Amino acid sequence: MTFVLDLYGILRDNWLLLLIGPYPNGPLGGIACTLILSVLGIALAFPLSVLLALTRLSTNRLLNWPATALVYVVRGVPLLMVILWVYFLVPLLIGRNVSGFTTMLCTLVIYEGAYLSEVVRAGILALPRGQMEAARALGHSYLGAMWSVILPQALYNMLPSMLSQFVSTIKETTLGYVINVQELTFAANQINNQLLTKPFHVFLILAVSYFVVCWTLTQWAQWLERRIAKKRRGLVAPKSSAKARAAVLEAQLDN
Amino acid sequence: MKGFDLLAILLNPEFGRMLVHGLALTLVIFVCSWLLAMSLALLLLTLRLTPSTLVQRAVAAYVSYHRNVPTLVQLMLWYFGIASLLPDNVQGWLSEHSAEALFSIIALGLCQAAYFSEDLRSGLRSIPDGQAEAARALGHGFVGSMRHVLMPQAIRNAVPALVNHSVSLFKNSSLAMAIGVVELTHAVKEIESQTFRAFESYLVATVLYLAISLLIMAGGAWLGRRYSVAGAK
Amino acid sequence: MITFSNVNKWYGDYRALTDINAEVKKGEVVVVCGPSGSGKSTLIRTVNRLEEIKSGQLLFDGHDIQAPMSSQQLNQLRSRIGFVFQSFNLFPHLSVLENIMLSPMKVRGVKRADAKSRAMQLLERVGLAAKAESYPAQLSGGQQQRVAIARALAMDPPAMLFDEPTSALDPEMVGEVLAVMRSLAKDGMTMMCVTHEMNFAREVADQVWFMDAGCILETAAPDTFFRSPQHPRAQRFLSDLRSH
Repeated sequence: MTFVLDLYGILRDNWLLLLIGPYPNGPLGGIACTLILSVLGIALAFPLSVLLALTRLSTNRLLNWPATALVYVVRGVPLLMVILWVYFLVPLLIGRNVSGFTTMLCTLVIYEGAYLSEVVRAGILALPRGQMEAARALGHSYLGAMWSVILPQALYNMLPSMLSQFVSTIKETTLGYVINVQELTFAANQINNQLLTKPFHVFLILAVSYFVVCWTLTQWAQWLERRIAKKRRGLVAPKSSAKARAAVLEAQLDN
Repeated sequence: MKGFDLLAILLNPEFGRMLVHGLALTLVIFVCSWLLAMSLALLLLTLRLTPSTLVQRAVAAYVSYHRNVPTLVQLMLWYFGIASLLPDNVQGWLSEHSAEALFSIIALGLCQAAYFSEDLRSGLRSIPDGQAEAARALGHGFVGSMRHVLMPQAIRNAVPALVNHSVSLFKNSSLAMAIGVVELTHAVKEIESQTFRAFESYLVATVLYLAISLLIMAGGAWLGRRYSVAGAK
Repeated sequence: MITFSNVNKWYGDYRALTDINAEVKKGEVVVVCGPSGSGKSTLIRTVNRLEEIKSGQLLFDGHDIQAPMSSQQLNQLRSRIGFVFQSFNLFPHLSVLENIMLSPMKVRGVKRADAKSRAMQLLERVGLAAKAESYPAQLSGGQQQRVAIARALAMDPPAMLFDEPTSALDPEMVGEVLAVMRSLAKDGMTMMCVTHEMNFAREVADQVWFMDAGCILETAAPDTFFRSPQHPRAQRFLSDLRSH
């Protein structure tokens, strides 16, 4: 019972720190920072991933090999190493120091860009070849067909996988702790360093917080997957065709 | 920049030793946690096949926890949290016997066990129903069907996913740095802070990680080919 | 050999099998035919308890197969009933020879050398001795089904059940499988076959059972059944078949 009371006590005293970090007495931190970092990370990684996927699918060796090399390197090297590289290279490239947040963001963009490009590539390859053939037969250029026909379908089908990657991104933000980014894990460690006597409680709260966020998103991804599968089988009428049917009926009534 | 001088790192005996120690520790953590993860995954799979819904839900909860909580946080919970709950004499013994590495192995092993068990489970589920029926029709019991017909196929089906997750486990060994284990990443950061030669130090570590990851992936591909179902598309 | 007494099976409101009373005598060949959804597959799968029944009794060689029993007893009973599936269900990770050897060795404790020689014998019998070291995926459908028959025969069953053995085959391969089944019948094997192959039924069967909607509507000798079916549903079924 004292265990639960202790947990409650820690939460009551520190909930603000866990939620938004030292703000306004410092940068935005806690869960808010974690989520902003994850959303920005995956949003910026997304165009990079599409670009990488397309270059990997191209038959031009000059485009294909560097992209494939980049993806394999990122897949074979720990995230911590990528952080170290970015921490070292970015200030060199732009001539001034950057905050931990920016470093972490760049790392996530590169790391998730590579992993997400595999998801996008899988989505494109999973479509029947007939789609591209039909588009080309109608006169679209390769890139035009990609933009109007292939990518919309592939990305829609891959939404659940992309949501899973988003969950991975959230988990990866924890490594910001190592370079003093003020996200949730950092905040929890701060609390622990102040309290010193209740490490299990603090880290349990930390674990549960991540669990709640990630689990909810994973459930959503699974729901999305089921819904997409149903739609593909034609069991769920898409909204647009319902509107079209209504419009046709109306037009018939007018006559 | 002092100019690229890789040999200053590689040939220097002190740094060379740090690198070798770091690499050795990385490999030890990887191998031990892999063995722990695989044995636990097989146990979890067996438990999941029992008729008791309580046991099945417990396994599902185990998997859900380890997949939704970041690995670093799991590591911290073990090393800072659970360690503090142990009796004092045990804590004392542990801190003298590389507790950090031990807890890293435990945390990483338990985490990957969840992923491995899901891979094996998917492998099992992708076997057509007719296989189990044929085995039963011939008179094999549950254990016999599993041993001779279903598990061999399940493991073959699961090899690509298992290889991917093995590479993840290998890369996760670097997380041990956060609790003070001087594995490869930590060693290289130490070298960098002493020599200021970030590029060279990081390059060595990157090449080593890449080489081993590619080795694991190639090994997995070889295993997949050797044990693949002959003639299957 | 196989006796159905008042066998019924239902799920909720749906009646899968209704009041089945029939018998397959030793050495007889019975063909079960009927439109799809008639329950013929369900019926044959109750014999080795791949499907359970809700009421009635089912005897196989004097044993009540649907009675409550330990799983060891059921496994032993099943090993005595040869079953050939529509989708062959060969074990893809084992060679053809290993597929046939596995169950005698693991279920009956037969020694490896004995199992191997018996397996080669059976492969000769179905005409596939040359394929002993091949794997199922390297064989055609007809060849796989013949191996499946050999695999079932390896357990020396007193009776063999065939659940639409040729329905999943390309037409040119149907003949080789039916040839094996014909030779089995000639050697006196008790057989119960669910099949659409009417010529096979005419040549080899001792009885034809016509099923629809879970009931056996007519049982007759093949000559009688094919020349002058009594039940109107059977007449309709045969005329539909002929019109193709």
